[in-house]
Amino acid sequence: MGHIQKHPRGLIMQVHPVYAVFDPYLIWFYRITDYPFVDFLIGTFVLSMIAVVIGEFTISLAFLANRKFIEKTTDEVVRYQNISVDAIEAGNKPAYKAANKVANEAFGRSFFMQIALSTAFLWPIPFALAWMSYRFADLEFGLLFTDHTVGYPFVFFPLYVGAYLLFKRVKYKIPYFRRIRRILDSSANRHREMRSFADLLPSKKKKTDIASGK
Amino acid sequence: MKHGHWSIIALVVMFAVVATLFLVCPADAGKLEDAIAKTPVGAEAGKIDPKAPPGYLGIKGAPDPNLIYGFLWAIWVGWIFSSVGAFGGIMAGVGHITIFGLGDYAKTFKKTSPVMNKLLTDSIRVSNQFLVGLSALVSVTNYYRMGRLVLPLGICLAIGSIVGSILVPIFTAGQISLKAYIGYFGIAVFVIGAFLFYETTERGQRGKKEAKAAAQAFEAAHVKQAGKGAVDEKARGVRVLKWGLGRIIFSFYGVEFSFRPIVAVIGGFIIAAIASFLGIGGGFLFVPFLTSIAGLPMFLVAGTSALTVLIGMIVSIFSYMVIKGIPVYWTLIGAELVGIFIGSMIGPRTSKYIPDIWLKRIFVVLALYVGIRYCSKGFLGYSLIPPF
Repeated sequence: MGHIQKHPRGLIMQVHPVYAVFDPYLIWFYRITDYPFVDFLIGTFVLSMIAVVIGEFTISLAFLANRKFIEKTTDEVVRYQNISVDAIEAGNKPAYKAANKVANEAFGRSFFMQIALSTAFLWPIPFALAWMSYRFADLEFGLLFTDHTVGYPFVFFPLYVGAYLLFKRVKYKIPYFRRIRRILDSSANRHREMRSFADLLPSKKKKTDIASGK
Repeated sequence: MKHGHWSIIALVVMFAVVATLFLVCPADAGKLEDAIAKTPVGAEAGKIDPKAPPGYLGIKGAPDPNLIYGFLWAIWVGWIFSSVGAFGGIMAGVGHITIFGLGDYAKTFKKTSPVMNKLLTDSIRVSNQFLVGLSALVSVTNYYRMGRLVLPLGICLAIGSIVGSILVPIFTAGQISLKAYIGYFGIAVFVIGAFLFYETTERGQRGKKEAKAAAQAFEAAHVKQAGKGAVDEKARGVRVLKWGLGRIIFSFYGVEFSFRPIVAVIGGFIIAAIASFLGIGGGFLFVPFLTSIAGLPMFLVAGTSALTVLIGMIVSIFSYMVIKGIPVYWTLIGAELVGIFIGSMIGPRTSKYIPDIWLKRIFVVLALYVGIRYCSKGFLGYSLIPPF
């Protein structure tokens, strides 16, 4: 990415009081070195990490509050997915289509439950971007080898993904998340395993055996 | 999902993003400032009053969507999502267009500043798309558990989807008035309402009951049969029986399936274009399309369609925001996410008391109301039903 340009100031939204409270703490991370672009990357990465950690915490709370419903919904999806795989294995297409239809209904319920859980994880992102808009709305970053410029969201999203991947590696060193994982694991162990259509594909060993005529 | 598959998807998305960058003209940032500069100054409707406090997107005199109302409306949207499934996106769109007053505000600029009218319309469209994109993202995380078979079809769909999602913002950003947008939105609402209506009919209900009975009968019989009989090794796995632009036929465990690649690409294009244009309907349209036109079993396509919608949404939102500089009110989006979460938690708990079929009937009536109102406002200029 290229240099940062200042754009002639256009609009200022009225700063919401909540953002005004957090502003001095968040902007501190943007003033660590004296290199503007480096500071912007550091500050945005820290902001992303804060959004990731808050999101992970709230989704864990959502999971704990709705564990029974989540398990029941997931179990229904797994049951009919397994029936459809069994039907294929038995060469029974009508049973496969019937199981698929029911599995899709169950998947639909599970899907919207997961939408809910994902909002519990993602909700800090727009607030982070809203705060950034008060501070950095007029920044433009020139892209190398092109005439294009992009704004602050273009920097935020990749750094958010990086922060998520980094936190994923260290998450289970934190006692609270270790406990959540134990609960998740015990929940998975109590329920049937989902079969995949990939399970029906011949393994490499079997392919070799078949090829060699065994 | 295997790392290889995620790498393919990441490459496809990156290619689409880079292609977008090189296909469109640069220097589109500052769209909102340009639109404001072109809008007449004054205190009347259709003008910008420099003495008024800033509202939506910082525009002076614009309505400031009340975050509390946005939050409460989003609880309603979340409740619909988890109770009925479809229609949540429509309600989110209705919120952005009507409930928060943004549509009426955009309309005031129709004659005084068409540029502002169209920019505000685009901002509403992009706000709608975030919800569709979120739905697709969640679905895709399930996709990897469905098995490898769907990836080739997903790529066919994604090609059409990417083309649709790039071309629509390029050709329509800044071109669509609010009046036209709500007219087309109303048509989409009618279509989705029709699907919902079918599910409440005896035929739609009978199909589901028969499928459940057949699946459970097979399950019971299969348990008894387990371990008996040998499976023909040669029938294992996927065997492609016929390749062609018109149709690809393959067998899986001796059971034949087929799909039409050309139909998949064109269908992906059309549906992604609709989802990109309106901000609704992507996932909802894909499933019936793939099952009835492309001829695939329903369950196989759930993850596939979501993958295509996700790729389309990433490209579309990127095109609108980064390339075309369309602004978004982030705080409102954030309040909506929290509201949708709460509503989605309430839905499963209330569904015990309200039968699914009655919920769908209520939303068919709502679809009829929203569809007539938006279509008539969009295409006739006035609403046929109250409030007029």
